[in-house]
Amino acid sequence: MSKGHFDLLDGIGAEDAERILALGSRVALSSGEELFPLGADADCLFLISHGQISLTLPMKVRDQETDVLVEERTAGQTVGWSGLIPPHRFTLRATAPVETEVVALSRESLEKYFAAHPEAGYKISLNLAAVIGQRLQLFQAMWLREVARMMEHRAA
Amino acid sequence: MEMLLMGICFSVFAMGIAAAAFGAAVRPKEAPKAAPEVKAQPAIAPEERFFVSEVTVPTPTGRVTVPVEALMAQLERHVRLEQAAAASFLAEPTSALLHSKTASPFLN
Repeated sequence: MSKGHFDLLDGIGAEDAERILALGSRVALSSGEELFPLGADADCLFLISHGQISLTLPMKVRDQETDVLVEERTAGQTVGWSGLIPPHRFTLRATAPVETEVVALSRESLEKYFAAHPEAGYKISLNLAAVIGQRLQLFQAMWLREVARMMEHRAA
Repeated sequence: MEMLLMGICFSVFAMGIAAAAFGAAVRPKEAPKAAPEVKAQPAIAPEERFFVSEVTVPTPTGRVTVPVEALMAQLERHVRLEQAAAASFLAEPTSALLHSKTASPFLN
């Protein structure tokens, strides 16, 4: 299984990266196919080999439930960090808008590997924290922009 | 006798006229021709197209119904633009970048 470039494996030695990728299984998704639904038990995280994953949340528009795009992830990026982070439940729905392939890494196999290779586990934990932190910061900024607009609107 | 028969004839004739007059008086007036009824026509189902299953129809209030698909496309564009603006702020955190304007259809 070739390494490619995955943000989750940044700073990991080539050997460790190969071993970690060997723990996973490749999952091919056709256009429109769902990777995981909102609220499902999360026991895997996914590295996108190629293609794209849309992360959405449900919203009611004119009494019709639709999925609103929250984030888009592309090749090399990680989705489904709830697979490693308690309470292990997906907080978004993930679908592939185009033909996509992901590497699914199970929590069980990763935890075993991290127990045996704590240094790799530590680096991957930092990389995962960066993925989570990036979303937090992005949405924090988006939220603040929205609040500022609301205040502006009220003051007008 | 002739006078009696004439009297009966006149009576029958008069009764006929009275009956006709009474009938005309109590007959319901013919309903005026109804104006062509304007029925609220259900919106003609538009031809379904690849992305759009509803067309924009001006409503009686003058408001325009935007198809859900178009609304969702606008929302997606808004989210992408807002994320890009937020990412610019994260790359270089300044107040100006935090509150930079976008070309979002929801804000213009």
